Amino acid sequence: MLGANLIQLSFLASLASFLAAVPAAWFEGRSKRWQGLPSFILMIGLLLGVFVAGAQLGSAAPPQFDFSKVTPFAFALKIDRLSAFFLLLICAVALPVIWYSRSYLPRHYDPVKIQWIWALSSLFIFSMVLVVAAASAFSFLMGWELMTLLSAALILVDGTSRERLHNLFIYLVMMHAGAAAVAASFFMFLPVSHDLYFSSLRASGFLLSPGARAAIFLLALVGFGAKAGIIPLHLWLPRAHPIAPTPVSALMSGLMLKTAIYGLVRFSFDFLGGGPAWSGYVLLTLGAVSGVLGILYASGEHDLKRLLAYSSIENIGIIFMGLGASLIFLADQSPAYAVLALVAALFHTLNHALFKSLLFLGAGSIADATHTLDLNELGGLLNRLPNTGIAFLIGCVSIVGLPLFNGFVSELLTFQSFLAGATLHVPAARIVLPLMAGTLALVGGLSAACFVNVFGVAFLGRPRTDAAESAHEAPQGMLAGMSLLAMACIALGIYPRLVLEPLIALAQTLIPTATLPAEFTGLQRLLAPAAVAMLALALITMLIRGRRRVTAPWACGLPGLSPRMQYTATAFSKPIRSVFAAVYKPDRDLSVLPSDHSYFPTAISYRSVRTTSYERYLYRPVTNAVVALANQLRRFQTGNIQVYLLYIFLTLVTLLILLGLRK
Amino acid sequence: MHLNLVHLAVGKTLSSSAVFLFLTVLLLAASRRVSTSIVLFALQSAIITAQVMATAYTEASTEAWVVAALVFTLKVVTIPSALLWLVKRLKASRGIKPAIGSGAAVFVAALMIFLSYLAVQPYARASRIPEDTLAAAVALILTGAFLMVSHRTALMQIVGLLVLENGIFLAALTTTFGMPLVIEIGVFFDLLMGILIMGVFAFRIRDTFEHLDVTRLRRLRG
Amino acid sequence: MTILIHALQALLIVLGAPLLRGWVSKIKARIQRRQGAAVWRPYADLAKLFRKEDLVPPLASGIFLAAPRIVFCATATATLLIPVFHPAALLGAPGDFVLLVALLALARFALVLGAMDGGGAFGGMGGSREAMVSALAEGPFLLGLTSVAILARSSQISVITGWTLGQNFFDVSAVHLLAFSTLAMVAIAETGRIPVDNPTTHLELTMIHEAMVLEHSGPSLAFLEWAGAVKLSLMMSLLIALFFPWGMADGPTLQAIALSAAAFLGKIVMLGLVLALFESSIAKLRTYAVPDFLGIASATGFLAVVFTLFGER
Repeated sequence: MLGANLIQLSFLASLASFLAAVPAAWFEGRSKRWQGLPSFILMIGLLLGVFVAGAQLGSAAPPQFDFSKVTPFAFALKIDRLSAFFLLLICAVALPVIWYSRSYLPRHYDPVKIQWIWALSSLFIFSMVLVVAAASAFSFLMGWELMTLLSAALILVDGTSRERLHNLFIYLVMMHAGAAAVAASFFMFLPVSHDLYFSSLRASGFLLSPGARAAIFLLALVGFGAKAGIIPLHLWLPRAHPIAPTPVSALMSGLMLKTAIYGLVRFSFDFLGGGPAWSGYVLLTLGAVSGVLGILYASGEHDLKRLLAYSSIENIGIIFMGLGASLIFLADQSPAYAVLALVAALFHTLNHALFKSLLFLGAGSIADATHTLDLNELGGLLNRLPNTGIAFLIGCVSIVGLPLFNGFVSELLTFQSFLAGATLHVPAARIVLPLMAGTLALVGGLSAACFVNVFGVAFLGRPRTDAAESAHEAPQGMLAGMSLLAMACIALGIYPRLVLEPLIALAQTLIPTATLPAEFTGLQRLLAPAAVAMLALALITMLIRGRRRVTAPWACGLPGLSPRMQYTATAFSKPIRSVFAAVYKPDRDLSVLPSDHSYFPTAISYRSVRTTSYERYLYRPVTNAVVALANQLRRFQTGNIQVYLLYIFLTLVTLLILLGLRK
Repeated sequence: MHLNLVHLAVGKTLSSSAVFLFLTVLLLAASRRVSTSIVLFALQSAIITAQVMATAYTEASTEAWVVAALVFTLKVVTIPSALLWLVKRLKASRGIKPAIGSGAAVFVAALMIFLSYLAVQPYARASRIPEDTLAAAVALILTGAFLMVSHRTALMQIVGLLVLENGIFLAALTTTFGMPLVIEIGVFFDLLMGILIMGVFAFRIRDTFEHLDVTRLRRLRG
Repeated sequence: MTILIHALQALLIVLGAPLLRGWVSKIKARIQRRQGAAVWRPYADLAKLFRKEDLVPPLASGIFLAAPRIVFCATATATLLIPVFHPAALLGAPGDFVLLVALLALARFALVLGAMDGGGAFGGMGGSREAMVSALAEGPFLLGLTSVAILARSSQISVITGWTLGQNFFDVSAVHLLAFSTLAMVAIAETGRIPVDNPTTHLELTMIHEAMVLEHSGPSLAFLEWAGAVKLSLMMSLLIALFFPWGMADGPTLQAIALSAAAFLGKIVMLGLVLALFESSIAKLRTYAVPDFLGIASATGFLAVVFTLFGER
């Protein structure tokens, strides 16, 4: 009993400290004495959160809080296993990010801005915790809206240029449309459920008509898909993520996207108990498209933060593919493999949170050292920032899904669940799922090409500019944050049981009556021996070292090999871009100003703009339709108050008449 | 023992020739050169010859043996060598760039194989016709047509037609378990005349336009 | 005893790799009417390189020297998954073929990083091309493996081998044929043979692998060359294990193992011969035609998976 009380108390304390960080930030701005106070309070809150989540992940008795007596709507929190997993994800990943920010922020912002960033980001974390801990629609939606608004405010702290405001506007519009869809999907439950507590939604899920189930699933998919940045609802993501302050980018890409995964899992597995039969195929298709296109767009970028944002789309795609496979298995009555696929998807969610935050923090360190994020202006950084470089390399290797790092484990599990698709009863699914293994492999190969490019161009070779030449290592605090995340990536890559076992237990609460597939046990037999073998071999090979002599690289025997002769990121990705030219569809604009002789033009200008197809073919028609509709509606808007009153009056009368007719 | 081995070989030919036919179809779709395509066609015809011989053995029909001999001399020896001679004479070994990349072409061929399986499945289930061979026949017809559509060289269109004819022949063979000899001979004669005429035309096209790109014949419509 | 045999399997692939390479180049030389170097030559080359000094570009980082060693380690670790004498391997569990693919990917990742650390123009060029080839080869690689795994109802390489052993060689199924052609094409792309890459070229316009190892020398180059040879013998052993395992021992008796070793040697000599003939009879593709080649591999891999639906005939 004491244990349960302790956990309840620590959770409340953790929430309280997120809120307490706001006045602390205010104090910090006032006096030197309070230096570091907000981050300290925030970290204590996060530690408490990690403690609560860790305790609850293995426990069947979730703590509950109901504040409905003091709030106008049903406001309740509850930490069951699913919530606990996402709480762990948020707190455990936010902790190193905050640690990093402690030394990062003072180097880049004046005290006033730091004060704002601390206050807003602690509230931002608070809102994310609220989302995953919510136990009623109202508390969920409150957290959801806060999350959007606070992240938007954090983006504004960094500046208010016109372009930034435009990007922010797109972000807010899409997020609000998504939030409306989420709210609508909650309200769709109302005919069968008397209130909007999650427990009643769960209990009434099976009472819904098939049409209502389909509508709820689709609305939730649109709402959460927009937040997760699934293609084609991704438009905001590469615009909003890169322009936030770096630690906030890490929080947004690493954590905020994951709340959308949480929402989707909550709706489709918990409330609906599997969703409609076709739902798995929808998720699978969206995931495959996002995975392939996301990584292709990432490959075409040379701005590091934009590249990372696009790669988030790819990883969300992989997670969606896992969730889709799980739903397909569930619809086919193979709960064991549904557990496998769900665990794979959730594990990848955690992994992505870890390595994407790590990579964003690394990008911050690079920007800190060189004041640029353009890969083509970097080079040779590993000699200048060795520790940052190693941490960044670990992030790159993990995100590519190479063995002995955490990304590999979740991708292996996803592969295995696709392969298990061959045991399904429906013939269509029997080939669709195994074919997805090929798609996932393509995504993996492309992401290897993309990140080898990132690391190779930024950290290896010779510096391409003076800025890269004079770069310096990041301070201890920033390194500490990154190395924590890097160590987590390695630990989960070699010893995934730490997370796998709680995850399996969690998946089994969502998918009851599932036995455990044999694939899980095989994993451990494979990873640890492979790691041992590789390390042993590495030791032996490292021993063999001959004499060394420093000489210039080969330049066909000519003098004057300059750093500019190295391949840039753009050059490196050229083969892939030309193979997939149809995807990029660049708007090339080559204009040649002719002189009197057509073979000797006076001036040639060339411009290339990418990734406009969505806007042209998907968003432009929609916005045009909305604007056209709005123009039509303007006729009602005369500007005369009496006419408006007349509308209200007419509405009332109509409603009364309708009511009377129904009686 | 001897009989047993023959029996085994016949059984294997009947059961696995479809697979090899699929492979030739994929290779034909991938092939970039007229001469390679012709060799592949000869190979394909050889597989079909084996199939005819196996059928002749199981059905114990002498007519089928004659047909096998005809197929071999015509489609494996005569027509391919004539076409190869034509290629040499016209110096057209390197085909004009087709309208579709070879990766995509193989993908289309793969889809067509899948499609032909789906198409023949209900029909084959009802009768004792082997599903794979019939699917292979349909796939050959489809790929022949696809080759004619996707290539722009006049010679490749001859090859496409021949592949298509192979498909029709195979379909007839599998559904009737050996056609009457007279009809076979008529069909072969038809084919031979067709090839002759097309070969002459290829010469005429080349002589008039200095190339074999049929897309440029558009100017002829007047 | 069994562990010893399993270790021997991996050792055979790793230590015999240079010999296989020597054999292939010998055949190629004979086809060109040349005498050719002795089949043992690659061993002498390796020994020579191990004795030489490492030349390091002035601004290179630690990655430059570490990369060749990582390449070798990852490739050698992958050999632990391949059954050679009997259908079992030192490492093995459901899903291990994904580990195999991923270990090779790790090797390539390190290889490209090592190339880019040289600071010259060639490293990036080779790395960029290699990145394209491998990104496109990954899909067909896994599709081919997936299709045979579906037939054998197991995702463990040695179990798949055991299943194939129980089948009749003459029962050629479409899936096996397609999967074999897919994996053979992938093997050519992965090991950088003609028509994807020419292992003997040093022409700037065409080289892929050679451009990446251009800056390396001494022991580093030795590790890279050795790893390349191991990769070739690994891919061939994989093809043998998946598609021609007949002749493998049932149990770990000495006689059976000796027989299966002889069978394995015969098979790999034959495969090397086929490879040499194939390489000698066609020309290298233009770099931008390589995606077409891998597109064909992807299409056959796709078809192989689709055909599993029609049952195993």
